[in-house]
Amino acid sequence: MRRLALPLIAVLLVVAVLGVQLAAGGGHYVPLRPANPCTPRPVPPIPAQLEPMAEQIVLLGLDGAACRLGISRERLVLALAETRSLDPRESAALKAGLVDAVDRLNREGRLPKVSQLLPQALDQANLPGIVKTIIGAIPNGVIDNLLPTAPLLRQTVNELDVDRLLRQLDNPNQLDSALQSAILQAALRQILDRLHP
Amino acid sequence: MGTDRTDKPASPLAARTAAVAVLSLAVAVVLGDSGVVTLALPEILRDFGSAVGEVAWVLIAFNLVLALVAVPAARVCVRGDPAAVTAGGVIGFAAATTVCAAAPSLGVLIAARAAQAAGGALVIVGSLELLVAGTGVERAGVRRWAAAGVAGAALGPVIGGLLTSAFSWRAIFVVQIPVVLLALPVALALRGRVAPRQANLDTSPDRPHVLANLALALLSAALTAALFLLVLLLVDGWDRSPALAAVTVTAVPVAALAAGRVFRGVRAGTRSEAVAGSVLIAGGLTGLALLPGAKLAWTLAPQVLIGLGLGLSVDSLTAAALRDRIPRAVHGGWTIAARHAGVVVGLAILTPIFTADLHHAETPAKEAIASLVLDAPLPASTKLDLAEQLGRRLVAEHGRVPDLRPAFRNLRVPPTQAPAAAALERGLEDQLTRAATRAFRTAFLVAAGLALLALLPALALRDRSLS
Repeated sequence: MRRLALPLIAVLLVVAVLGVQLAAGGGHYVPLRPANPCTPRPVPPIPAQLEPMAEQIVLLGLDGAACRLGISRERLVLALAETRSLDPRESAALKAGLVDAVDRLNREGRLPKVSQLLPQALDQANLPGIVKTIIGAIPNGVIDNLLPTAPLLRQTVNELDVDRLLRQLDNPNQLDSALQSAILQAALRQILDRLHP
Repeated sequence: MGTDRTDKPASPLAARTAAVAVLSLAVAVVLGDSGVVTLALPEILRDFGSAVGEVAWVLIAFNLVLALVAVPAARVCVRGDPAAVTAGGVIGFAAATTVCAAAPSLGVLIAARAAQAAGGALVIVGSLELLVAGTGVERAGVRRWAAAGVAGAALGPVIGGLLTSAFSWRAIFVVQIPVVLLALPVALALRGRVAPRQANLDTSPDRPHVLANLALALLSAALTAALFLLVLLLVDGWDRSPALAAVTVTAVPVAALAAGRVFRGVRAGTRSEAVAGSVLIAGGLTGLALLPGAKLAWTLAPQVLIGLGLGLSVDSLTAAALRDRIPRAVHGGWTIAARHAGVVVGLAILTPIFTADLHHAETPAKEAIASLVLDAPLPASTKLDLAEQLGRRLVAEHGRVPDLRPAFRNLRVPPTQAPAAAALERGLEDQLTRAATRAFRTAFLVAAGLALLALLPALALRDRSLS
């Protein structure tokens, strides 16, 4: 019995220590695992401003693209940050993901109206003051009727040069300018389409 | 079998007690050198601007030479006067240690470490005979010799870490020189008073105790992980200072020293002690592999298990390897060779495992960082700016756990966003710590496996009470 006492005490001590550690999460102290990009992520409230809306569309769009490519959103982002270029498959996946994101936010009624975004967009736009005044004078109802948000954003995404945007990631000013230019062009095309169906 | 289990006391009690203490200290210093530079390696790396693989030889060279030289040194001791052998070893060790302290290059340091081990081997095997003579009882002398070795091996990294933090890595060697030289007058005073072993032996020498030595080698390989990997985790993985790491790992030697007092009263016998020790060391290493957080307190209980296992098994196995075997010094040499071969094998097995795991930890760490940055409640422009700076940090410190604080220091955010930025910084640090901790898991588990392997020879030992 005496011969067994020490090994028995040792086993009990080990079981006690490991038991406490496992109960405290010892087996799970690991880095955060990326979420499955194919599982829809909850979307926080989106302020009616251009940057938060664009950010949310990009985040959801990255999920959609990663899901299509069969990798995590984080792996896709790191790969894009490293290579700063897209192959045709990635480019198509990214655009499709962004369109999906616009559709989801539209379905959920989360997209702000263009009239809500317009004052900020006009402030930042490089337009003559008279043009800004004229556009500002257009009633909100007319603007929202002429330019529904979802089709405008879809058009913007389709016309985006995502390769160029990636190269401008280091310079937020250039990135903003490129995005605004893409939205403006899409808005013009939408208006022209309405006027000349 | 042994013919003289009891040596006549060579001097009055007070002098003998002092001699035993000084010789025990010398043994502890020499065996402490096995891991004394563990916490100093990063500073040595910086001083000489060498590669990690080259600097590791400061550790490996000592253990490898000690493993190779211990038995031949013991044979020299058996043929000559153990006191003279010890004195020669002390002089050689002190000279080599002086060269270590003043080494102008990594090559000189490694060569001096090898010479240190050669001199140290003579000190260790010679001291075994002198301690048996000094205590007057073989069992007590062997026990004292083994305990000094355990204390030295366990305290070495701690003392080395503290000296490196307080002064520099060179201080580790400077401090050793006067301490080990204390043994020189003791050894010289004992010249001619301890009979050479071979003179009274007509029979052929006993064969080495394979089971006890094998168990010692496996446990030493596992214990290397406990000390070497743990300090690396604390300093490199958790970004703790070498001094704090050194203080933290004192739990191992404290528990090792307490083990004798706590368990020896059970008088369970060699096999039970070796088995219990192996289980405790394996359990402690598994505990280090399954840490629930990066708080230093979480390492204490696993360290206590390892320390108790170390205190229970190593001196018990050493005593079993020496009991009734002649020549005693040669069998002492075999235990030293087995232990330090175990250290070298442990380093050879575990270093590539945790190095590869640290490399593989980069991807999950980067993904976790990307995830937190993407989802942070900060404006997109701030996130882009931060991502750019974090990317630079990750590239600059490729292969090491990066320090992300400079990226946040350079970040300009309005006061309203400061709490979110601070929370993100904490979150990213946490992810890095998690990744580093996870990277050491496999190495700790493999080390636990080595300790469990030691159960096989331990279970096959004859169970004789040491009481």
